[in-house]
Amino acid sequence: MKILIVEDEKELAESIGAYLSDEDYLCEFAYTYNDALEKIELYQYDCILLDIMLPGGNGIKILEELKSLKKHEGVIIISAKNSLEDKIKGLQIGADDYLSKPFHLSELAARVYSVIRRKNFNNLNIIEQNELMIDLFGKTVLVNNQEILLTKKEFDLLLYFISNKNKVISKSALAQHISGDIADMFDNYDFIYAHIKNLKKKLSDAGYGNYLKTLYGTGYKWDI
Amino acid sequence: MKHLMNLTIKRIIMYAGLVLVCSIPAYYFVISLIWEFEMNEHNIILTEEAARHDRYVIILAVTTLTTLFFVFLLGGFILLNRSISRRLWQPFYESLDKIRNFDLTSGQQVIFDQTNISEFAELNISLEKLISGNISVYNQQKEFADNASHELQTPLAIIQSKLELLQQNVSLTDEQYNNIEDALHALSRVSRINKNLLMLAKIENSQYLEKERIDFSAFLQDAVILFKNYSDNKKIELQLNIIHEKIVEGNKILIEILINNLITNAIRHSGKHKKIIIKLTNDQLVIKNEGISSLHPGQLFRRFATASSGDSGTGLGLALAKQISARYNWKPGYHFEKGFHVFSIEF
Repeated sequence: MKILIVEDEKELAESIGAYLSDEDYLCEFAYTYNDALEKIELYQYDCILLDIMLPGGNGIKILEELKSLKKHEGVIIISAKNSLEDKIKGLQIGADDYLSKPFHLSELAARVYSVIRRKNFNNLNIIEQNELMIDLFGKTVLVNNQEILLTKKEFDLLLYFISNKNKVISKSALAQHISGDIADMFDNYDFIYAHIKNLKKKLSDAGYGNYLKTLYGTGYKWDI
Repeated sequence: MKHLMNLTIKRIIMYAGLVLVCSIPAYYFVISLIWEFEMNEHNIILTEEAARHDRYVIILAVTTLTTLFFVFLLGGFILLNRSISRRLWQPFYESLDKIRNFDLTSGQQVIFDQTNISEFAELNISLEKLISGNISVYNQQKEFADNASHELQTPLAIIQSKLELLQQNVSLTDEQYNNIEDALHALSRVSRINKNLLMLAKIENSQYLEKERIDFSAFLQDAVILFKNYSDNKKIELQLNIIHEKIVEGNKILIEILINNLITNAIRHSGKHKKIIIKLTNDQLVIKNEGISSLHPGQLFRRFATASSGDSGTGLGLALAKQISARYNWKPGYHFEKGFHVFSIEF
């Protein structure tokens, strides 16, 4: 899977690249407007992370260019400008998602995962991992061909872990994923613990291996 | 252009001159009348007794006349003074009125009416200068807050991403991991303060102007559900009393922020097993949470007035609530009543 990171802040682009790059993803970078235009014309990507404010031009124009080239890459706008107009405009022109800076890398990974699945859902709407099978379309989870019932939050958490496999995820990132900006307002993430405990129990009761590990007391890792 | 002093003095001198001019023929007439009368009475023979009598008559007449003119003069002065004052101070009162209605946050320059009195004209010019100076300083400050928070966004994002990357390091000890986690916590607070400052700047810059009809009741209900994770976590007893379909005109985002900030405030400052009462009527929204003693009502809605290092707040939530209320001419209030902090918004 190829990802293009269009971001003028090299440090940030590198962090994103370092986090996402693994056996599944290959990241390329574009630091300027013209750089980005050249790359999208020449190559095919599965997902493009697009900053709005770029030296040499506006990211929205790149998005327009993509559409006029009839390309179907998934696009996630990452912007420092947390403005609603940009968000609406971007989504109208055809961006698939919008994330305002600063964000958790794990959240970005989850969004990338979801955008790629959505774009190619013909062959990818079933996730299989060992004895686990998730049907994204029907939102069902099977362990050893036996369906287990998850709440919406547990399902969301499971997907979050799978899209961040082998990564340490902090409780605060999980809290923000579950309750959005509100999570920011409190320092208390205890409710996450209860959801994860339930999820773990349901999975292990159905015979799924212990892949979800607690690390350092406050972090989690989907170890596969 | 006239001077304030000269304007009054000129009128008074003119009036006094007028009275003086009128008094000359009056004196002449009365004295000649007495003169003629005496001539007829005494046939020009001026005895000593007659002369004394005449003197008395003349003194009496002159006294009467002088008193009369004095009364004229005085009465005239008083009337004149009144009418002049009223007209004279008119521009002053107009200016005063404009200053009183001046609102710095609106950024509207005050335009004073023309006046032909030099003192007031000077006053108006000085006021205009003072006000435009204030407006530009205010705008600069606003711009600074706006730009600063904007520019901070990117470095904050870099720090966060680097720390999170560091957390992925496989050889971390528990202590190292938790140090990073603590740094991330503090960082998220900075980001939040930054976001709120940006939001305040945006509201002050008259953004989010688009309005729509909003079901305030539904928004409030949704918020309560959203916050349930956090209130349940503290075992808080929520007591709701929300009327249906309270419709307000406003901006969706701002109303959401207003509601969220007030509820967050109540939950954050509640201990375990405490009670929070949320009540919405047609006239007002009241959010009560249990507390021990009254807070400073004057300080509460000011920026950073309530933030302390101990809590996770940004110190901007209530300032935002106030700013949003002001946009819609709602009145935010606080008082302490029977062991409850009572925050209210009057529509």
